[in-house]
Amino acid sequence: MESKTTISFANVSANYDHGRDVLTNVSFNISAGSFYFLTGPSGAGKTTLLRLIYQLHKPSRGQIKLFDQDCDGISRNDISKLRDKMAIVFQEYSLISHMTVFDNVALPLRVRGISTDKIKKLVTKTLEWVGLGKYANVYPIELSGGQQQRVSVARAIIIQPSILLADEPTGNLDDENASRLMELFIQMNKMFGTTIILATHNRKLLETYHFPIITIEDHHVSFASALSEKASESNRKWKGPKPQSQNYFADISKQFENIGNS
Amino acid sequence: MKKNTLVFSLVKEQSIFMTVVVSVLTFMSVLALGIALSIGTGVLRWNNQWEKYATVQVANLDNTKIVKKIFETHSDKIESVKEISQSEMERLMRPWISSGAKLNNYLPQMFEIKLKNPSDMEFMKKEISTRAKFLTHNSALKTSMNAGWKLVSITTFVLMLILISIGVCISYISRNIAMLHKHELEILNQVGATDKFIAHQMQIIVGKISTVASTIGFLLAIPIILMILQTAHSARLGLLATLALTVNDWLILLMLPVLIIIFSVYITKKTTIKILSKN
Repeated sequence: MESKTTISFANVSANYDHGRDVLTNVSFNISAGSFYFLTGPSGAGKTTLLRLIYQLHKPSRGQIKLFDQDCDGISRNDISKLRDKMAIVFQEYSLISHMTVFDNVALPLRVRGISTDKIKKLVTKTLEWVGLGKYANVYPIELSGGQQQRVSVARAIIIQPSILLADEPTGNLDDENASRLMELFIQMNKMFGTTIILATHNRKLLETYHFPIITIEDHHVSFASALSEKASESNRKWKGPKPQSQNYFADISKQFENIGNS
Repeated sequence: MKKNTLVFSLVKEQSIFMTVVVSVLTFMSVLALGIALSIGTGVLRWNNQWEKYATVQVANLDNTKIVKKIFETHSDKIESVKEISQSEMERLMRPWISSGAKLNNYLPQMFEIKLKNPSDMEFMKKEISTRAKFLTHNSALKTSMNAGWKLVSITTFVLMLILISIGVCISYISRNIAMLHKHELEILNQVGATDKFIAHQMQIIVGKISTVASTIGFLLAIPIILMILQTAHSARLGLLATLALTVNDWLILLMLPVLIIIFSVYITKKTTIKILSKN
């Protein structure tokens, strides 16, 4: 696992429409391969922080560096290039209703001009991996909230991002689905060294999975170690169906090597 | 076109509206260009028809022999000389000058000459003008030709206005599509699509609609142009009767819908990239 800094914030402030600062003088470095929970009260600026990282929002002050690249004044084309290495999952899924589950998940690959054959293989594997193999041809509206969230996750992870940002991905899920989703993220983090920042309100998650926590309060950011260091791998209970293959990520990874996107 | 868009889908009403608008505008532009080209060709033909002709008016009848001698001397340059007879002159002049013996005193001796080469016109004018009045048909009909060129300018201006309207309409429609599909645009951006890629998606939609619409507009305009030409030819005489479309004119007309499609696709790209860069 690399220890290179992937995300770097230096005195970053952000606001909307020149209003009050949502975040003020935020500075931190996040190393490649780390897994962080992002927490704080509603409206504290969790989504804003994720949007800043994903370059969906420009800071009013300060400097953001992603993969050692200064994002100040970055062109829209360069943002697209950065997003080749990043993915984001929103609480509201952001799926396209008139496209099937397969097409929604295939979208990032189609945008990158990957061949139809490879898309078919990758999407099928990814959907199986998130437990939605048999739902490929249905429309998002026909799925439950948890299933839609998994489609959204599948779409995010299919490009095997170096950074995965998840904004309250378990917000609409029951415990079983939340736990299942967490296992997917942990597997990604462990197998690929994907840097993951997961915004959540769910105290149970924070207690179950002992990852360091970024807390946003009063427009400022603070870092803390895991809530319960006692929680261990054995305490975690996998409630959903297990992935069908131990080497799912390895399989997907091989496909990506061919594409040159690994 | 086999290409399909990834995300955008136009609702039926949008597609119909855009097809109708582009069809009507293509129809009008093909019509305007067709009229401009046919008048242009007519004027050129009219000009070519008369550029070898001149009328020689010998007011002092003592000079008639000298003028005839000049014709003989330069017969290598002259294709034909037609002497207008006294009776023919009387018939021509009667509406303006009363009939009777007095009329003969005022009638000049007139010749209509046709040169082999229009470039000899100046030379012949120099030779004859000391003895008689030398009037080229070309200069006599200049006002008609000027009117013809003015009509060509007006129809070209109308064509430009129509093309600008097409640009504005396509830009507006692209903007509309982009606004209607804002959610999809955001998702495309989020999954890493470049502005160029998104614009390309929009270009595919507009390209498809423009192709259908310009074909319809073109096919509707052609019978109207043929009817205009047929009506003009029925005049038999004058500039109107010379209106025509050459093979090159038809090729230019055929290129117009293609140009409209390319123009629409270009405007779509510009508009979409502009909208995206503002997000």
